[in-house]
Amino acid sequence: MAPTSPPLRGSPEPSGPGDERDRRLLTVAREASLQARLIARDEQALAELVEVATPWLLGVAQAMLSDRDEAEEVVQEALTIVWRRVDLFDQESGRLLPWLLRITRNRAIDRLRSARRHLQKARRLVAHGGLGDPWTSAVEPDESARPGWHVHEAVHAALRSLPEEQREVVRLAYFEGLTHSEIASQLEIPLGTVKTRLRLAFDKLRAGLDSIRDWVL
Amino acid sequence: MTAHDWFIEHRTAFVIRTLPPDEERNFAEHLPGCAECREEVARIERELAWLPMGVAPVSPRPGLTRELVQGALGRSRTSGRWMVPAALAASVALAAGAWIWAVAQVRGFERVVRQEHGRLTQELAMARDTLDIFRQAAMVRHATITMGEKKGGLVIFADERTHRWNVVVYGLPAPDPGHVCQFWFITDNGMVRSVEVKTGVNTPAFLTLGMPNAPGRVMGAALTVEAAGSSSPGPQGAELAHVMM
Repeated sequence: MAPTSPPLRGSPEPSGPGDERDRRLLTVAREASLQARLIARDEQALAELVEVATPWLLGVAQAMLSDRDEAEEVVQEALTIVWRRVDLFDQESGRLLPWLLRITRNRAIDRLRSARRHLQKARRLVAHGGLGDPWTSAVEPDESARPGWHVHEAVHAALRSLPEEQREVVRLAYFEGLTHSEIASQLEIPLGTVKTRLRLAFDKLRAGLDSIRDWVL
Repeated sequence: MTAHDWFIEHRTAFVIRTLPPDEERNFAEHLPGCAECREEVARIERELAWLPMGVAPVSPRPGLTRELVQGALGRSRTSGRWMVPAALAASVALAAGAWIWAVAQVRGFERVVRQEHGRLTQELAMARDTLDIFRQAAMVRHATITMGEKKGGLVIFADERTHRWNVVVYGLPAPDPGHVCQFWFITDNGMVRSVEVKTGVNTPAFLTLGMPNAPGRVMGAALTVEAAGSSSPGPQGAELAHVMM
């Protein structure tokens, strides 16, 4: 199934380079402030982070685990780690939210890779022909106003630019946590083809996402 | 195709975790000895940092964000997964005894389950986070230490992605009374005092350390025996171990 773009109602795309720079500077400062307050154990800062990050973290965890309760548990684990270890986070090596997203995705994969869950998911995929595109969930009317929507749009555009067969392996690999061999089995294609498609797709994605790697929400 | 070509070909797969567990482990074991792969892996991670945002956001159910905040703060949250058995337990109790008594029991049970689940969730998250440092360690360094007749060691697992170390000090007796074992970072700007290490022959010391908040690039670490209460900026006592990264 080819992913389709959600409607871009009220898209917060910048009207010019100056606007984008202003927005980025503002949000970089806000993120730095948020991190400083988290290190200072400001519970209100934690609440602000949770407010902004939770929909995206839940999106990642739920797409991978297909279980809302378990997704909430994974998000809880990730937020707990960040709250307890934020003083060890090196801002130079990356941004706060990507760090949180990576922890969440790794936790989800760890759960998925327990033998029992993996079998369950593989059976579901076979039975239902896939779980659908995680990036085509229903869009709420005010979705475009959600913090981070401009990042989502940029990532979405990069994914949309991939040929359909590459987009499919990216969906299974990155957003549903399957390994090379599981994807080959699921799509009934040779393992080498899976690897080639993934390599081509991620070469394009790395180039496509490079321009936004320093963005913040 | 050389052996290293396989690692070059699978760098992205390692970052996005599509390798099967044995190959993932093989790649992780390769990283400490290959600066080129470490740098490239870090670069790919930075480039793909926002890729998870390709997933559509999911609106949290009412009350969830408050629960998540409370959970992260250590004030346990209720998981929907555990509410079902708790509710079933409530039904059994209601059928068996007086309604008020049962409600009180169920509430108590729910509270206990909630607290225990929250505690275990947090402990599990911390344990996984600590294990991640071992798993992602790009460098592992070991030094043998002899204290009197006892032989022990210092092992450092350096995770360059999160800039944290897991440090294990094992097999060493406690220092003489009035003395402590002191861990130091060696930087290109001098020695930086870190933490005291509680040693014991049969009780290895285990530490997770972030990089010091001091100028200078961390180049290694040292373990010394210092007078208790000393706050000297540099080591004064005998050096037990000196490890360069």
